[in-house]
Amino acid sequence: MDREQVIKALKDSGKWGHKYSLWAVYFCTGCGIIEIPPTITSRWDAERFGVIPVASPRQANLFLITGYVSVKTLRAIIRTYEQMGEPKYTVGFGSCPINGGMYWDSYNTIKKLDKYIPIDGWIAGCMPRPEAIFVAVTHLWTLIDKGMATAYKKYRKQYKYYRKNQEMALGKLEWPPLYPINEDE
Amino acid sequence: MKMNKKNLIQQLELTFADNEVNTFEENVIKIYAKKEQVKTILRYLKDNGYNHLALISCVDWIKNKEFRLIYILTSYNANNETYKETGDIYLKAKISRDNPEIESVISVFENAEPYEREIHELFGVKFSGHPRLIPLFLERDYEVPPFRKNFDTRKYVKDVFESIPVIPEEEE
Amino acid sequence: MVILYGLGSILIAFMVGILFAGISRKVKARIHWRYGPPLYQPLIDIVKLFHQESVSHGFIFDFGIFFSLTGAIVTLFFIPIGYIVPLHESGGLLVVLYLMLIAPFGIALSSVEAANPNASIGISRKFILALGYEIPFLIILLSVMTYYGTISFVEIVEIQRESTWGIISMPITGIAFLLILPAMMGLKPFDLIGAPQEISSGPEVEYGGIYLAMSKIQHIFLIFINIALFVSLFLGGGAEPLTFFLKMLPVFFIILIMSTIYPRFRIEQAFRFCVRWPTILAFLGLLLVVWR
Repeated sequence: MDREQVIKALKDSGKWGHKYSLWAVYFCTGCGIIEIPPTITSRWDAERFGVIPVASPRQANLFLITGYVSVKTLRAIIRTYEQMGEPKYTVGFGSCPINGGMYWDSYNTIKKLDKYIPIDGWIAGCMPRPEAIFVAVTHLWTLIDKGMATAYKKYRKQYKYYRKNQEMALGKLEWPPLYPINEDE
Repeated sequence: MKMNKKNLIQQLELTFADNEVNTFEENVIKIYAKKEQVKTILRYLKDNGYNHLALISCVDWIKNKEFRLIYILTSYNANNETYKETGDIYLKAKISRDNPEIESVISVFENAEPYEREIHELFGVKFSGHPRLIPLFLERDYEVPPFRKNFDTRKYVKDVFESIPVIPEEEE
Repeated sequence: MVILYGLGSILIAFMVGILFAGISRKVKARIHWRYGPPLYQPLIDIVKLFHQESVSHGFIFDFGIFFSLTGAIVTLFFIPIGYIVPLHESGGLLVVLYLMLIAPFGIALSSVEAANPNASIGISRKFILALGYEIPFLIILLSVMTYYGTISFVEIVEIQRESTWGIISMPITGIAFLLILPAMMGLKPFDLIGAPQEISSGPEVEYGGIYLAMSKIQHIFLIFINIALFVSLFLGGGAEPLTFFLKMLPVFFIILIMSTIYPRFRIEQAFRFCVRWPTILAFLGLLLVVWR
């Protein structure tokens, strides 16, 4: 670390901490999870970027949604996302969360995940290689530096629309609203 | 009398007179049965050493207006003489398409429970006598069960998933 | 004077603890044939955790983890680091013996309030393991107290400085203590308490931002306290903090290399190990001390 980095770290230690220590929830969503174990073991080492997998969503601040999302999985994803502490970052991994991918005309999968939970960035590919994950992590560092990784704030502000979309897709939800919804306007 | 393939086929033809029993050249036996006799044939085969129900599957013949249920039987005991000669046994039963129902075979083979649940939710076939006929994979309600051939999947996607609006940007 | 020494003690323990945690991650990575995180990575983790939001489950949840961290800090005040001993006139070995049980007790309080079955399984494993390692630990402390004839840390270090080190005069007891040190610290092969793959991190499953930071700091302090205990009793302490730190390094490296190679025990295997060989060796050491 040279002098400028030390000064930048001391001035805004929150951003420095959030950048270089992203802990990812080890939630194996779909078929894309097959690319995560090679990333975190010896050959393509993710720990040198500060990314380690943790077992519980309360301890994590990065959520990688790997692979396709069926309707049943969306229920689990929303519950996991709402348990994480702020600030939290989500990355859509693979081409299925972007626009449906290979399952674009299926009767049981979610086509655009952006309508249900907020997403910071996408990685295209089917499946992306581990080097693509590293490019995404460094791009996320740049976004956090500039203050543009604000997807969790959008969830708080527009929670009314997100909840309505979730109810349209899943039917009745068993959990109460995360933020209070006032029914004006 | 020693049970080999010829004997088994003769016994089946004698006992269940109005079923066809075919042998195929690649080491399988196909039995075409009526839907009321499925349970008795399964019990007969289970007593003769075919004690593994591998799969229950369903095919939608839309032009003939019928479903066909296929039960595949093998044997756990690999040293079974008859099984070594005959190979797997396929049992096929026809059901009408407009009012599909058949009796459940759980009392003969207990592991038929998830297969019958899956066929119920994806094809709409009713199994009488099944203790728990709730959906296995699907979460929503469908007017036409999804695996039938008259289910238009692109229209369903357009109606349900693309009608959900995109989240608007914040007004600031 | 006490306050100054106390703050110095906490600062030294924190810095040395972070250094040990960083070295352990880096050495573990190199043994696995990969590069590891930078050496100051645990500092980045703790700074991030202080800026993260978290959810509290009630008053006892907050109080439990805070109580455990305070217990670790208070235990630190009784252990000499060179000439820095904040509270050296009161107690000594006996006080350390019962203060070391406050840390798991605090975590148990917050695990009860968290109401997660994974946390209950984790903390019950911790208490069974504590029962396992307390048996040889008590016998070891008894033999040390009998041999030196005192319970004060400062006198034990002075006697060792005049005559030989503890590990040369009581070798069997020293080996027994070295065998149960990983169990007391919660490192492999005994890290079944907070196992991410089996029980979703055990008692830490409901900890968020600041609670997780306090839990990690408490782990770091526990590692420092246990190694400092071994160095004070068996390796002759140290006149200055620098010699003390240099004596801690070989012990730390032995335990680190053992912890990166071995897999994890189950709870009955761990308990059976702790009650069998370390107890027999400690008992032999006690007999030798009494007969001399």
